[in-house]
Amino acid sequence: MPTVIDAAQLVFQPYVLLVIFCSAAFGMFVGAIPGLTATMATALLVPVTFFMDPVPAIATIVTATAMAIFAGDIPGTMLRMPGTPASAAYVQDAYALTKQGRPEAALGASLVFSSIGGIFGTLVLITASPVLAEIALKFSSFEYFWLVVLGLSCAVFISPGSPARGLVALFIGLFAATIGLENPAGAPRYTMGSVELMGGVQFIPAMIGLFAVSEVIRTFIKRGAEVRPPATPGKGIFRQQAKNLVTYPVQALRGSAMGTAIGALPGAGADIAAWISFAISKKFSKTPEKFGTGHVEGLVEAGASNNAAMSGAWIPALVFGIPGDSITAIVIGVLYIKGINPGPMVFITQPQMIYAVFIVFLLANLIMLPLGWLAIKGARQVLSIPQKVLMPVILMFCMVGSFAINNSAFGIGIMLVFGVIGFLMEENDIPIAPAILGLVLGPMLEQNFVTSMIKSDGSFIAFFERPIAAGLGLFTIAVWMIPLLLLLMRRRPPAGVSEP
Amino acid sequence: MRVTDLTLGLLTLLGGIAIYISAIEFQAIPGQAYGAGTMPRAVALVTGLTGLFMIVRAVMEGERLPGLNLADWTKSPAAIARLVSVLVLIVAYIVLSPRLGFLPTAFAVMTIGMLILRVRWWLAMIVALVAAIAIQQSFGRLLLVPLPRSDFLSFLW
Repeated sequence: MPTVIDAAQLVFQPYVLLVIFCSAAFGMFVGAIPGLTATMATALLVPVTFFMDPVPAIATIVTATAMAIFAGDIPGTMLRMPGTPASAAYVQDAYALTKQGRPEAALGASLVFSSIGGIFGTLVLITASPVLAEIALKFSSFEYFWLVVLGLSCAVFISPGSPARGLVALFIGLFAATIGLENPAGAPRYTMGSVELMGGVQFIPAMIGLFAVSEVIRTFIKRGAEVRPPATPGKGIFRQQAKNLVTYPVQALRGSAMGTAIGALPGAGADIAAWISFAISKKFSKTPEKFGTGHVEGLVEAGASNNAAMSGAWIPALVFGIPGDSITAIVIGVLYIKGINPGPMVFITQPQMIYAVFIVFLLANLIMLPLGWLAIKGARQVLSIPQKVLMPVILMFCMVGSFAINNSAFGIGIMLVFGVIGFLMEENDIPIAPAILGLVLGPMLEQNFVTSMIKSDGSFIAFFERPIAAGLGLFTIAVWMIPLLLLLMRRRPPAGVSEP
Repeated sequence: MRVTDLTLGLLTLLGGIAIYISAIEFQAIPGQAYGAGTMPRAVALVTGLTGLFMIVRAVMEGERLPGLNLADWTKSPAAIARLVSVLVLIVAYIVLSPRLGFLPTAFAVMTIGMLILRVRWWLAMIVALVAAIAIQQSFGRLLLVPLPRSDFLSFLW
């Protein structure tokens, strides 16, 4: 208990609280701009944290990233442009609600359940971090392979339309992920002599192209004639969520738990957590047909999941010094600079520091509610601008955002190519989401697949020899087989009825 | 502009074959059977199988010839011109911004974009000017993104 009091004294100081407030506003700003990610917010904050003590430095990053993950839902909901990749899983439903004139229903759910997920993840981080990290550490390439395949399978099955077209989208993403030098042999693939392509297809410009530029193209074709959803009063943001909490308590809990568990796995962060949770939500929903049409159920589960994953990612980072995602990878560097060596010993030598981190997490997820409410109120004005005025400005934001990734016009080129691809895909009812996930998880899939094949000397049986790998593998196969069996059963005529 | 299932199946199958052929020459890790070609070949295999599956299903459902259903907008030359204009605006920004600087290019691109969408010229110019300065200040100054500078406007950086 004295340790907790010491930690509280470190956090509840005017300077630290001011830092938390400012970094929350910064996180909101970065997350709300398509193309700027929570990871980028962290990277941009690192030079600032050099001038701070350890607790405000960590508070800066924790608060900004938690805010950015939520704020990514704002442009996703209002403009169908997820501000961060973690918002992409449920952008279809969120934007559909906006089209129905109910943006506050989607944004309110995102806000409240992001906060709930974040707090749940923090509580797990506080109570069960050593145990969870130990489980995650037992994972080898076989388990990771199945986890990625499971994530990709979910992306195909949650996408609207036929799974076959979802698969086509997935292969487009997986193929794009093979471009570049990042492969087990380090050989250039499909680079066509371009030095910049050797680094692979940049994810952020590709995502901006697929989601945003394709939308700009569509608006230009229709000359902005698309009916703009009316800007409805923002009352009842929180009241609606109380109802959602009563209707979907299991979804909120499951999303939070799943997000925390996935976040704790090294390499799997908020993005994959949101995808898997959205798929699970649809799978177990009583009304799966409503998903993609502005149904809040998946939003509740995936929204809680991605923020829970943010907290979960800190479990292996703090306990073992292994980053749970790209953000915690940067954070570990900051911790070392501040003289805190993450690992089991930090719990013994500097426990007040660890508890201070826990308190900051709780504060960040609580402050999200009022600040998020303000951000929603402000962002709603975006809808009052006519699309024909907004779209050229958005196009410019997209170009600058794509440029900002590597400070190179090459990013804008990538955005352009994927914008056209995204437009053609949507014209053909090919969902975009699986392509995005294929692009993100392609390198991870390849690394774990090739590593596993080398380890097993080409034997596929080895993929089922370890108990967790076998469990994940069987579950993945079930995800594929159950819909096929159901399809066959539906086609088979009932007993006693002869074929015509 | 929607291709039929049979056409998409054929394109997917051809895509799978093309990826497989292109991946044949990729090097393996020295001393191993696997390497740079493993993943593209695996992707090619499942892509081809998906294409085959789509073809078989389309044929079973009665499709006999590949086809393309044109959307209404494809019959309007003006709509096609507007589609091309988006691509031209992006290319123009890539080419011109290093020469003219961010602010003049961004202003021109946004103004032209809005004029194409029939926004009144004075409103288009005001919005484009305000947006260009706001983007420059937020990205260029606050986030330190090195947007291309114009010599005569460098006081804004």
